[in-house]
Amino acid sequence: MPAPSLDLGLTIAAGSKRELRLRNPVMVASGTFSNGLEFARRFDVDTLGAIVSKGTTLRPRRGNRTPRTVETPSGLINSIGFQNVGVSALIAEVAPVWARWRVPVLVNIMGETVAEYGRLAARLDDVDGVAALEVNVSCPNVEAGGMEYGQDPALAAQVVREVRRHSDLPMVVKVTPAVTDIRPIVTAITDTGADAITVMNTVPALAIDARARRPVLPTVFGGLSGPAIKPIALRAVYLAASATHLPILAAGGVSSGLDAVEFLLAGASAVQVGTATFRDPAAPWTVLRELTEWCEREGVRDLRELVGAARRRD
Amino acid sequence: MRSDTLEVTASARLYGDTHILWLAMPASYQAAKPGQFVMAYIGEHTDPLTGRALSIHRTRAGAQGPEFALLFDVVGRGTDWLARREQGDAVRIVGPLGRGFEPQPRVQRMLLVGGGIGCAPLIWLADRLTTEGREVTLLLGGRTAAQIFPPSLLPPDVEVIVTTEDGSLGRRGLVTAPFTELLPWCDELFTCGPPAMFEALHGLLRQSGLRKPAQALFEQTMVCGMGICYSCAIFPRRGGVRLVCHDGPMFDLRDIY
Ligand SMILES: Cc1cc2nc3c(=O)[nH]c(=O)nc-3n(C[C@H](O)[C@H](O)[C@H](O)COP(=O)(O)OP(=O)(O)OC[C@H]3O[C@@H](n4cnc5c(N)ncnc54)[C@H](O)[C@@H]3O)c2cc1C
Ligand SMILES: Cc1cc2nc3c(=O)[nH]c(=O)nc-3n(C[C@H](O)[C@H](O)[C@H](O)COP(=O)(O)O)c2cc1C
Ligand code: FES
Repeated sequence: MPAPSLDLGLTIAAGSKRELRLRNPVMVASGTFSNGLEFARRFDVDTLGAIVSKGTTLRPRRGNRTPRTVETPSGLINSIGFQNVGVSALIAEVAPVWARWRVPVLVNIMGETVAEYGRLAARLDDVDGVAALEVNVSCPNVEAGGMEYGQDPALAAQVVREVRRHSDLPMVVKVTPAVTDIRPIVTAITDTGADAITVMNTVPALAIDARARRPVLPTVFGGLSGPAIKPIALRAVYLAASATHLPILAAGGVSSGLDAVEFLLAGASAVQVGTATFRDPAAPWTVLRELTEWCEREGVRDLRELVGAARRRD
Repeated sequence: MRSDTLEVTASARLYGDTHILWLAMPASYQAAKPGQFVMAYIGEHTDPLTGRALSIHRTRAGAQGPEFALLFDVVGRGTDWLARREQGDAVRIVGPLGRGFEPQPRVQRMLLVGGGIGCAPLIWLADRLTTEGREVTLLLGGRTAAQIFPPSLLPPDVEVIVTTEDGSLGRRGLVTAPFTELLPWCDELFTCGPPAMFEALHGLLRQSGLRKPAQALFEQTMVCGMGICYSCAIFPRRGGVRLVCHDGPMFDLRDIY
C-alpha cells in the first residue's frame, strides 16, 4: 500500500491578502546563494520552498576590502560588507528572471536609516518576480550611534512599521542573535505587522592572526555561520517561538535533513540553508530530500506535527 | 559545478615539497579548460569547513578511464591531508570552476610564465597549445631547484627556460630577465604566480610599449568557488568589483593593475 502522501506545504500570512504559499519548508539563506541566477542554470530551483536574495541596498555597494572571510572550527566568519548591485539594477535585470520561476523569491533588504527601509520597500512593491521581503534588521543604525536596529525593540518596530507603510508584500523580519534576550524583539516585530520571522543572522565573532598580532579581517569583527552556530540558533528559535505565533524560518548551521527536523522540533516552520551550500551546491536539495525521507520513515504526514514538538509544555 | 566523490588513482611527491594527486575524471569535466580550478574538501567532517582551491594541473587517459591531476605545495592542514591520500582513497571535489585561459585562435607564439607552484595550471596549457601546433616557451621561476617542475615531464616541443634565485638550476635571478628578452617574440602571454611577479611583469609590459594580451590567474581567499559567497573580491584599476572565482580567476593583467 502506498504511504499516505506527506504534506510539506507552508503558508505565510495565511488568510490575509498577502498570503504566500511555499511548496516545502526548505529555502536558501540570504547572502549564500547570490541571486540564484547561476544556480538556476544547473539546478532545479523550482523544487525548493523559496529563494532569498542577496542583501540588497538602495545604492550599489562594492563591499569590504579583503580578506572578507576566515575559516574557524566548523564555522566561517564573514565580513562581506553587503556587496550588491543595488535595488534599481536588481529590479531591472534580476527580477525579470525571477518572474519566470515558479519558486517564490524573497528580497532581503537592508537600510542605513529607517527611511531607507521604507524606500526599498516602496521600490520593490508590485515588482514582478518579487514574492516577499525579508527585512534584515542586523544593520548598524547610522542615525543612532551604530546600534543595530535589531538590538532594540522600539527601533526594530519602527523599521517594521515603515516597511509595512510602503509595501503590501508579505514581510519576513530577520533577527540577530546579538542581544541578551531575543524575545522582546520578536514580540515587537510580531505586534507591528510582520508575517514571519527569520531566526537568525550570524553571530558576532573575531579571529586573530597571532603571527601578525592583529585581527584577520580588516573590519576586525565579522559574523560567524555554519555548523558551529547550530546550537545557538536552536536556542534562539526555541526562545523566539515562545514570543510569537508567527511562522519562524530557522537559519544557523542547517546542513542536513536531521538538522532541519531539530529546528522544526524547536519551533521553526521552515529552514534556510546557508553556509552548507558553500561546501556543496546541492546542499539545499539534500536537506529537502533527507527531511522528506526522515518524515516517511517516522510516519509523519504533516510537518505541523513536528513544529515545536520538543518544547516543554509547562 | 557539482560535487563528486572521486577515486585517487595515483599520489606521489613529484619534486621538492610538491605533491601530485591523480583523480578519476567525471564526464562533466570533458569541457574543462586550463586555468579552471576545483574546490577540494578535506576529511569527512566540517572541520576544516571550506574547500581548498586547486588548479587543474593536467589530464591523461588512465588505465580505467580519463584522469586529472592536482599539483600542490604542502603548506597547511588541507594540502597536508591531500598529500596523504593514497591510491583507492576518495576525495570530494566540486568543479570544474571559474573562467580559464582563453588563447586567441590564430596566434602562434605563446609565452608562459610560472612562478613557484604557479606552474601547476600552465603545464596543462602547454600540453594543449603544443597539441594544437603552436610554439610554446615556458619560463619557470623559483627560489631554488627544489621548486622547479621537472622539464623532463613536459612535451618535448616546449622550450623551457628555468631561473632560480640561488642559481641552483638554470639562470640565476628572476623570471623577469628572460621575460624581457622574449616579450618582443611572443604574440600572447599567460602567467600564474605570486602577486609580486604579476606586478613586475605588468610593469615590464607597460615599459615595453607593446600591447600584448597578458592573461593571468589571480588568487583570493575562496570559500565557495562558485560565485555565491562574495569572499573572493578583486578591485580592478578602473573601478568596480569582480569575483575571482566566477569572473576569473583569469583576468588580463592590464585590467587589474
Ligand atoms: C583559484 C586558485 C587556484 C589555486 N591553485 C593552486 C594549485 O594548483 N596548487 C597549489 O599548491 N595551490 C593552489 N592554490 C592555493 C591553495 O588554495 C592554498 O595553498 C591552499 O588553500 C592551502 O590550504 P591548506 O589547508 O594546506 O593551508 P592553510 O592551513 O589554509 O594555510 C597555510 C598557509 O597557506 C596560506 N594560504 C592559504 N590559502 C592561500 C591561498 N589561497 N593563496 C595563498 N596562500 C594561501 C596561509 O596564509 C597559510 O600561511 C590556488 C588558489 C586559488 C585561489
Ligand atoms: C557570506 C555570507 C553572507 C551573508 N549575507 C547576508 C545578507 O546579505 N543578508 C542577511 O540577512 N544575511 C546574510 N547572511 C546570513 C545568512 O543568511 C544566515 O542567516 C547565517 O549565515 C546563518 O546560517 P548558516 O549557518 O546556515 O550560514 C550571510 C551569511 C554569510 C555566510
Ligand atoms: S569564493 Fe565564493 S564567491 Fe568566490
